[in-house]
Amino acid sequence: MITIPYLTAVSTYFSYGLLFAFGQLRDYSRLIFDWWTTSDLHGYAPICLAHEDFYIRRLYHRIQDCFGRPISSAPDAWVDVVERFSNDNNKTLKRTTKSTRCLNLGSYNYLGFGSYDEFCTPLVIESLKKFSPSTCSSRVDAGTTSVHAELEECVANYVGKPAAIVTGMGYATNSAIIPVLIGKGGLIISDSLNHTSIVNGARGSGATIRVFQHNTPAHLERVLKEQIAEGQPRTHRPWKKIMVVVEGIYSMEGEICQLPEIVSICKKYKAYVYLDEAHSIGAIGKTGRGVCELLGVDTADVDIMMGTFTKSFGACGGYIAGSKDLIQYLKYHCPAHLYATSISTPSAQQIISAIQVILGEDGSNRGAQKLARIRENSNFFRAELQKMGFEVLGDNDSPVMPIMLYNPAKIPAFSRECLRENVAVVVVGFPATPLLLARARICISASHSREDLLKALKVISKAGDLTGIKYFPAAPKKQEEEKGTIKLD
Amino acid sequence: MYVRALPTTDVNRNTEWFTYPGVWTTYILILFFSWLLVLSIFNCSPGMAWTTVHLVHFAVTYHLFHWKKGTPFGDDQGIYNRLTWWEQIDNGKQLTRNRKFLTLVPVVLYLIASHTTDYQNPMLFLNTLAVFIMVVAKFPHMHKVRIFGINADQ
Repeated sequence: MITIPYLTAVSTYFSYGLLFAFGQLRDYSRLIFDWWTTSDLHGYAPICLAHEDFYIRRLYHRIQDCFGRPISSAPDAWVDVVERFSNDNNKTLKRTTKSTRCLNLGSYNYLGFGSYDEFCTPLVIESLKKFSPSTCSSRVDAGTTSVHAELEECVANYVGKPAAIVTGMGYATNSAIIPVLIGKGGLIISDSLNHTSIVNGARGSGATIRVFQHNTPAHLERVLKEQIAEGQPRTHRPWKKIMVVVEGIYSMEGEICQLPEIVSICKKYKAYVYLDEAHSIGAIGKTGRGVCELLGVDTADVDIMMGTFTKSFGACGGYIAGSKDLIQYLKYHCPAHLYATSISTPSAQQIISAIQVILGEDGSNRGAQKLARIRENSNFFRAELQKMGFEVLGDNDSPVMPIMLYNPAKIPAFSRECLRENVAVVVVGFPATPLLLARARICISASHSREDLLKALKVISKAGDLTGIKYFPAAPKKQEEEKGTIKLD
Repeated sequence: MYVRALPTTDVNRNTEWFTYPGVWTTYILILFFSWLLVLSIFNCSPGMAWTTVHLVHFAVTYHLFHWKKGTPFGDDQGIYNRLTWWEQIDNGKQLTRNRKFLTLVPVVLYLIASHTTDYQNPMLFLNTLAVFIMVVAKFPHMHKVRIFGINADQ
């Protein structure tokens, strides 16, 4: 639940109104200016309508240097950020050959597999020499190696389902598989803050889409009851299939899904549950098995479990785990399996080795240490930020913590101030978040040491003071009070 | 003073910002400050300033709410390209609180403008015409209606 000071809400709307007004003014003057100049594209239709990319041209381009910063090293706890400069007010940015070493608070490197690992990397290099970087074929033609078969078995065992199918790209897993599972005459009920890949997959499927209020099982039940009673639009026939799509950890809020309630509601109304664990697999739960393990939900109750390997496992690709019949059906019908190139073999090896490290099968307890460290780091960081007076979202144990900024001017101010102090943060604004709720999203990793976190806290506190984002009163320092009483005694 | 920002179920990013707290207050404050601005720049009587604010408000909101169609984002894939902003808010549901508020604002502005100009003639005619067009455009019956094909699709 986001609590926003009323004055901040009003001033944020004012700022956006001003930015909008100036953007429109510039557009009109550009229109008048271009009246006098002739263009050689006479007779061609414009690529996009003038107002369709208004937001990109007039708001996003002004602060473009805060987004899309290129890096020139592996995304470890510290990363080399390439410096860029612009001669035309951020419309185009040019790279220089210099880079600065910054503390990395933006990569989804939850378990620290994003850089050299003593167990995984030698195995990956070996597999790179034996197989090559690409299989040069789709899975059904010639792109299935023994590593791919081993990977699917390994993932199915890890997640706790009978079988799994792996694709080469995480985004494509959602957008290619949802249309295969459900079509016209079906109903998809998705959480209002679901990721764009799910939205695209749902729109591409042709099914009717309804949205329920974020993480509110009561509203989900109301929507389900209403839709089942009404049936399909216009014909009012019963729905062919109903699927409820939720995520494990929502990447912009850091909130963990209320899975037990949602699963029980879906069982009552006989709807399928599709769980997207992109950010939660490998990062939460005692052995890293995701939100089902954390909340004690039996994996047999969740019909389709989807996840990606880009966050906790340091590789690329996505997977779907489910019953043997489901996976067999997907292997015959899913376009990502039939036509897209299969996942690169060294990446598959990286995932297998990472899972072995997490489960302790490589003979050491580094996996358990990593999981304990990320939980400790996240809880420590979140508690410290909240003590300083920042508004931090997300549940306990979640490694994603957004710090609320709200005003559009604070987005580039916070980002640039942190970069000046060699801390790289990711800031997100409209349209990825609602208009009012711009935020800086911090992702904690198991490879951050305590000194790294303390340095990050210092820099964020200073940037927070300069930009004025400590919306809550800071907690009083209890230690000084206790010291005072001891001295008197 | 804090308020809670509950996440909405509106997927249209062009209109979902209107469902968060603080919008109504900002709207009213913008109108009030623009009245002060007009008074300080043109040095006219308060009634003329209110008339100016009312007519400029009519021009701006008619263009933004009832003329411009579609959304400023390309990745909506054009599903709202035939709908004006007024037809998009609250997912097309009529007579919601937001719509009632937005219908009331031009009427209140009209009453203030007419009262402070003492119902004298050129201003009264222009103000009445403006408020008539504004209120009729917001009727539930006018949802997706294009009179004489004005502003119909390309």
